[in-house]
Amino acid sequence: MTNYDKILIILIIVFSLIMILYPFISAYLDNGEEQNAFIYIKDSSQEVRRIPLSETYQDEPIIIEAEGPLGISIIEIHQGRARLKKAPEEDPAKICEKTGWISKPGPSIICVPNKISVWIETEDSDLDAISW
Amino acid sequence: MRTRKIVIISLLVGLGLVLHLVENMIPLSFLIPGAKLGLANIANLLGLILFGFFAGLQILLLRIFLGSILAGTFMTINFYLSLSGGLLGYLIMSLFFYYLREKFSIIGVSLGGAVFHNIGQIITAYIIISNTAIFYYLPYLILLALPTGVGIGLVTIFTYNYLPRELKRIDV
Repeated sequence: MTNYDKILIILIIVFSLIMILYPFISAYLDNGEEQNAFIYIKDSSQEVRRIPLSETYQDEPIIIEAEGPLGISIIEIHQGRARLKKAPEEDPAKICEKTGWISKPGPSIICVPNKISVWIETEDSDLDAISW
Repeated sequence: MRTRKIVIISLLVGLGLVLHLVENMIPLSFLIPGAKLGLANIANLLGLILFGFFAGLQILLLRIFLGSILAGTFMTINFYLSLSGGLLGYLIMSLFFYYLREKFSIIGVSLGGAVFHNIGQIITAYIIISNTAIFYYLPYLILLALPTGVGIGLVTIFTYNYLPRELKRIDV
């Protein structure tokens, strides 16, 4: 391993840590983000559904079916959290199913083969969905 | 020498296919969605060191085409994802290998490939799904590319040192 290898490793660590920490710092700077949070669901027809997080605190979970090129993905929203409960059988990797629950802005559930994405965003945030 | 080269390239394609299958059995997606070890990269990195740019490119393309036909994902989105990541990662590895050879070792070459493999895949996924939320996972994927990239580089160096002397063009 040469010195340039080590410099490259350090550069990669610094770069990715800055990118990881940036959304946390900017979320910390504008407080009170728990209010007016929405769950967004985008399907393959680019149609976006918006559900207020405050409406999800009920006994029964909200079940949403989103259709994509591979079939129907079932999304479950309950107690301020969302997950992709069932991906179509044809999806080879089922990465979206393995992502699990999301409950705050930042992480997102993405199903690239079925062209479906689920994410959480606050209304009064001047940041983008992902802050960059 | 020509027959020998063809045989070794096809052996490396087979090696890449097997590593590709083994890699799919190791679940890393629960850590970060889409994360992978990149074991199949050993084959085309070895091809690049042994026979140069076009041999490595041959190994990469044959492995992706045959692998996707075997897995039944040919011409689907998964195929394009692995093709774009593989090509961008391989191009960066070749750049490192040919132009920065005296500065970086094979570990650095493999590391560059691993990082840009992820960048290529995320950009393709973004073009397909057109949602910027997907970039959230990029820094995590790049951070995980560090241990995998260094590991793949080390494995390639060890394998290369095991090969018979008459095959080697250069020392690593």
